[in-house]
Amino acid sequence: MAVIEVDNISKSFGDTRAVKNVSFEIPKGRIFGLLGPNGAGKTTAIRIINHILIADSGTVTINGYPVSSKTQRMIGYMPEERGLYKKMKVGEQLIYLAQLKGLSHEEAQKKIRYWLDRFEASAWFDKKVGELSKGMSQKIQFIATIAHNPDIYIFDEPFSGLDPINSEMLKEIVIELRDKSNTILFSTHRMEQVEQMCDDICLFNNGKAVLNGNLREIKQRYGKNTINIEFEGDDAFLDELQEVRINNRSTNYAEIRVLDGQSMQNILKKAMNHAQIYKFERVEPSLTEIFISTVGEDNINPKELS
Amino acid sequence: MSLRQILLVLKREYVTRIRSKAFILATVLIPLGMIAFVGIVIGISVWDSDTQQTIGIADQTEVLYPRLEEMAPDRYQNLSELTEDSLRTLVQQEEIDGFIVLGESHVEGQEDPEFVSSGSGGLSLQNTLRTDLREVIRNERLKRANVSEDVQEIYASDIALTTTKLTETGKETEDDTGFLTIVGVIMGAIIFGAISGYGGLITRSVIEEKTNRIIEVIASSVKPIELLFGKLAGIGALALTQMTFWVASLLGLAAATGPLAGMFLSEQMSNMPETSQTASAQQGINPEMFSIPTIEPSLIIYFAIFFILGYLIYASIFAAIGSAVDSEADTQQYMFPVMVPIFVAYIIMFQTMNNPDGTLSVVGSLIPLCTPIVMITRIAITDVPFWQIGLSMLLMIGTFIGTMWLSAKIYSVGILSYGKSTNWKELLKWVKQG
Repeated sequence: MAVIEVDNISKSFGDTRAVKNVSFEIPKGRIFGLLGPNGAGKTTAIRIINHILIADSGTVTINGYPVSSKTQRMIGYMPEERGLYKKMKVGEQLIYLAQLKGLSHEEAQKKIRYWLDRFEASAWFDKKVGELSKGMSQKIQFIATIAHNPDIYIFDEPFSGLDPINSEMLKEIVIELRDKSNTILFSTHRMEQVEQMCDDICLFNNGKAVLNGNLREIKQRYGKNTINIEFEGDDAFLDELQEVRINNRSTNYAEIRVLDGQSMQNILKKAMNHAQIYKFERVEPSLTEIFISTVGEDNINPKELS
Repeated sequence: MSLRQILLVLKREYVTRIRSKAFILATVLIPLGMIAFVGIVIGISVWDSDTQQTIGIADQTEVLYPRLEEMAPDRYQNLSELTEDSLRTLVQQEEIDGFIVLGESHVEGQEDPEFVSSGSGGLSLQNTLRTDLREVIRNERLKRANVSEDVQEIYASDIALTTTKLTETGKETEDDTGFLTIVGVIMGAIIFGAISGYGGLITRSVIEEKTNRIIEVIASSVKPIELLFGKLAGIGALALTQMTFWVASLLGLAAATGPLAGMFLSEQMSNMPETSQTASAQQGINPEMFSIPTIEPSLIIYFAIFFILGYLIYASIFAAIGSAVDSEADTQQYMFPVMVPIFVAYIIMFQTMNNPDGTLSVVGSLIPLCTPIVMITRIAITDVPFWQIGLSMLLMIGTFIGTMWLSAKIYSVGILSYGKSTNWKELLKWVKQG
């Protein structure tokens, strides 16, 4: 059974249609990636799932219940815009936030102590959040998200603004949570993170879900129609290639998506005539490439993808 | 709506603030500041009235000056030997502040004396001179008319008014109008200050959650309306705590210093310009009335009711303002129209002080946005018909429901919109959307 079921939701703000007839399902125990450029409607969809916004039409169910205050407690949510009360003490604040999620004061205190211990942050219990470093308050933010022990976790652009240590820590937490058969939904506009972590994805563009399903299956569907090439020498030959799309190009590297089924041997020959080849590999396309070929080059602003 | 969530928010708002040093300091310092302010005002007026003006008197009758000298020897100087031209020179050289030439025509005829001055002295000096001259000339006229001593005594007698208020139960009580006027104005002023002060606190509290970026975390656990109610109630409880402390101090102070204030006021009144003296007399401010100041418990209860209702109406508006902006600096465009009715009420209140049953006061006390300030002053001073009190409360409750409804809509959209300043058009859209 799907833990989160999004069925044909739409949401408009005035004349702007932020989300248009979006549907997807997230099965239990999976990491689900919501991808797309900035402004594609990811955050709006996430807010609807969290019952912060109400969809104009369509339904969302969490563990079988329509979204409500009750389903909010089943979710640990870390928004893109995140922060804490600066003047409140760490312990008090975490207990307050956990209580809002339905825990009793004693339960909350026990959970908070456990997590602070685990993050080696027990000494901060009586410190004001304003006195903590940025990295430290990011840790407190994680605890605030997970302390009430929900079985669904939603992270909106979780890696933006994180320092590398916390970024790595978050990845570990996410994997660990999944291994305990929790369900994780996170959104990002950075495709490479999805490739590393997600089981399933949903691609957003202009408020619509344009592609949706198991990441490996999607990639397989495209076949090994892409060449990763590493070389040294003149890269002008890349410009002479016909019917290809080149991503991630640099002075000695390129991802070449072959569009018309032409022989890849010919590309290799051409390359050998111009440059020293270090690596030539047939692979499945990258998510960026899948995204571009799904929505069409004309329909996206490439700068919004990184 | 879940009561549990509202109470959690309430508790946080209340506890984190009441423990803060800023709050404790403000609770103690604001009354001290007010006392200091009143002290300075009194100090200035006392110091100011001490400056003695010298008025030259050229007395051709030779009987008027001695009478004036008897009244205020420091004020009047006998310059009867000098000509009018040299008197003018003295005024121009600022040796004297002005002069009056008094002749037989002023006593025998109906001619009014002329006061020539360099323009200093102002209204209160002119009033003093008028009173003094009226008395000495009248006395001289009485003397010349050979009126019997009995009649002269009648003229000399000073009549004060003792006032007694008949209550509804038919019991006669000593009228404390003077004291109660002051209590009413203080209560009105406290509500005025509290609404602006706590309103600002609400706005800042909402903005703080937006700038701290915690609002979305909260919104994923609590409904905006629960958060809004919790916030209003939490800061309202804070306000009540502070008020209770202040009112208790005020009552204690009033009991202790009532007689003192009476003495002080009588002194003040003798310095007051004649017109306001008459006005005060009409109101019946009599120093003796300060001896037994009593504040009816019902007045305290009304104060609490009108304070709470007024607070709720304005707090809901101030919360909406906070959610509509991104920083405190942006609040100006919305604050101004909200502050207008508060200030209007404050101005009406001073009218109410003189005429609590006048049309302006009655109308003002029934306009919900002005009620809390104007009505409490009226209730303190006069017997307001119960239908007016009841109506004003109903109107306020209705207004609160309206402002809360609007505010909740603006708030629920506003708290999630970051990084852009809104305008009125946008707000309207939010109301439709919310």
